[in-house]
Amino acid sequence: MNPLTLSLVLTTMISGTLIVMTSSHWFMIWVGFEMNMLAIIPLLTKEHNPRSTEAATKYFLTQATASMLLMMAAITNLLYTGHWSIMKLINPTASIMMTMALTMKLGLSPFHFWVPEVTQGIPLMSGLILLTWQKLAPLSVLYMIMPLINMNILLIMSLMSIAIGGWGGLNQTQLRKIMAYSSIAHMGWMLAVLTYNPTMTLLNLYLYIPMTVTTFMLLMINSTTTTTSLSHTYNKLPLITTLILITMLSLGGLPPLTGFLPKWAIIQEMTKNSSIIMPTLMALLALLNLYFYTRITYTTSLTMFPTANNMKIKWQFKNSKQTMSLPLMITISTLTLPLAPMMMILD
Amino acid sequence: MLKIIIPTVMLIPLTWLSKSNMLWINSTMYSLMISMTCLPLMNQFCDNSLNLSMLFFSDSLSTPLLMLTTWLLPLMIIASQHHMPKEPPTRKKLYITMMILLQIFLIMTFSATELIMFYILFEATLVPTLIMITRWGGQTERLNAGIYFLFYTLAGSLPLLVALIYTQTTLGSLNLLLAQYWIDSSTHIWGDSLLWLAYMMAFMVKMPLYGLHLWLPKAHVEAPIAGSMVLAAILLKLGGYGMLRITMMLSPTINFMAYPFMMLSLWGMVMTSSICLRQTDLKSLIAYSSVSHMALVIMAILIQSPWSFMGATALMIAHGLTSSLLFCLANSNYERTHSRTMILARGLQMILPLMAAWWLLASLTNLALPPSINLIGELFVTVSMFSWSNFSIILLGINIIITALYTLYMLIMTQRGKYTYHIHNIKPSFTRENTLMSLHLVPLLLLMISPKIILGTTY
Repeated sequence: MNPLTLSLVLTTMISGTLIVMTSSHWFMIWVGFEMNMLAIIPLLTKEHNPRSTEAATKYFLTQATASMLLMMAAITNLLYTGHWSIMKLINPTASIMMTMALTMKLGLSPFHFWVPEVTQGIPLMSGLILLTWQKLAPLSVLYMIMPLINMNILLIMSLMSIAIGGWGGLNQTQLRKIMAYSSIAHMGWMLAVLTYNPTMTLLNLYLYIPMTVTTFMLLMINSTTTTTSLSHTYNKLPLITTLILITMLSLGGLPPLTGFLPKWAIIQEMTKNSSIIMPTLMALLALLNLYFYTRITYTTSLTMFPTANNMKIKWQFKNSKQTMSLPLMITISTLTLPLAPMMMILD
Repeated sequence: MLKIIIPTVMLIPLTWLSKSNMLWINSTMYSLMISMTCLPLMNQFCDNSLNLSMLFFSDSLSTPLLMLTTWLLPLMIIASQHHMPKEPPTRKKLYITMMILLQIFLIMTFSATELIMFYILFEATLVPTLIMITRWGGQTERLNAGIYFLFYTLAGSLPLLVALIYTQTTLGSLNLLLAQYWIDSSTHIWGDSLLWLAYMMAFMVKMPLYGLHLWLPKAHVEAPIAGSMVLAAILLKLGGYGMLRITMMLSPTINFMAYPFMMLSLWGMVMTSSICLRQTDLKSLIAYSSVSHMALVIMAILIQSPWSFMGATALMIAHGLTSSLLFCLANSNYERTHSRTMILARGLQMILPLMAAWWLLASLTNLALPPSINLIGELFVTVSMFSWSNFSIILLGINIIITALYTLYMLIMTQRGKYTYHIHNIKPSFTRENTLMSLHLVPLLLLMISPKIILGTTY
């Protein structure tokens, strides 16, 4: 893309999110969301093929609907309370509609259908931005209106998301779809604890973003989007196979890796609030996620995948792709469980 | 405790920086030295005051298990030497690193004070074991075996996490040294049964209990020798250790919740022993015998009497050494015939007489011959089970007989009789293998003299 265009688009996208995060007037939040959405469309259609067009169209339709719902909720609130301020979203109808709108933007169940299809149709870098940066704005609004959200709706949506994120990813071999279902499940975890202790939502977000960035970086090094081509990594960059192993296990939430920390903290907060069946169910459903991550590690690092035997052994050149801060990201996303007591600074 | 953990962690740079021809020697020697530093912990005081720090402690229950863990690492490294020579040095070092990583997690697990730290490290032991089974196992079934192993254990232990956090929020702290003062005798609600189940299922799956034991034959059979050794000797004992620690917090719910598991263990003990009589696969036979012995341990822990705790602890240590020894012997057969079928390597006494001596001693300890510590364990368990219920002696007696039957079956099949004609050109026993067997047997036989160190907390 033309560097000028790219910088314009990225600036608009970033400032859109920042406007959402820093305003207290519902109109400005809507403006921020619209700026963000319109700016990311060119990023989604970077490759000019019909699949990206379809993905961008689906993204546009769902996000526009969600923004309109958001506006409707704000105006309903205005009708009943006379306020445009975020903190006064007191009317229950408005609050429920706002929750629906924001979870539609996040890709939470039952509004999750667009996430796998959009993530699949776009290049890896755009997929990364979609799954990480785009979650910041809706989550910050949800964090701000947290006391006014109906807990039951959010809990039902979270449990459904974790279940769908787990079961949906089981039949996939396309890595982008796997990451999409992983994002659905992680969003479920994040929103389950929102009404109990929103600090844990932020903790999960702050750890989910490095883990996802690490995974996408590892995929971009190999430029692979399918499990089959990822299994050829041992031929080109054997060390990356080990890194894929520990990153995947961390995403799945296995101790002693970092990915266990958000799950542990969320279970702790929910148990402190005397909700015990819900975290048990959530933890058991997270095992489904772990299954397909383990399957990826099986094909990549723990076995020599059958189709890879037909490939000639390659010369192992020095890696010439840019891997900015990959070691740092890997360390953050796998080894920071002992730093768990430090997470108190988030309070 | 740091004097054991830090040297074990430093074994990893030792592995990666050794020259290729000194790799095995270095790691074996230094891990043996580390196991020597663990010995002074055996000097236990009777008021459980060996509390070393806020994080680590070692009492008379965890010390024998710690000793077993540190003793087993050099043995695993010795046993792995033969099937690794053609691998590039990086992969050999990775394998040894996995073993050392597992060792670190196990040492920290057995010496943990806080139950949540115990939980995290309990789960953490799964990752290196999974990598060892899946990456270095022999057959295609190892993938399935790894998945079964990982998911059975995780599905059992996630409710344990929730239960631990719930107890922490209600009781205030999960420090094990304080937990012994919290026996709660107030009226109980049915939710207590669920809490008990949540606590126990994790350890039941790990032990394994008879109905949940499907992962064990798969994992043991498909694992490489070091994996089999550590699985049989230590990882099963993690379940027993956890149960022994947690039951002191859980009475008296255990009095009525224990019945289904007692029935499963009693019946399962007899069933798995009987299956051993029909096995053609040598490793599978030893795996099922592990299930049978561990069923005895489960029963002993569930009836909660002082004698039975002593028997459970003694049986855990004795079974750890014996089972690991049997796996090493089976592996020495596997390395020669490249098959686990028992009848392919028969009549070995004629050809490898010293190895036949090790087979004999291993079989004798497996069938709990007096005065070995296996007998002490089984005897204490049998006697306390008899005092719990007179009728259980029938099933226990049947189990002892069938254990003797299949052990002698294994011994006679592999050692006696006419050897097959294809076996006369196998390599003779290496000194390394004889060292391995004797290093297993020497603690087993020496402990006969003073078994009080393995009798655990209620001695």
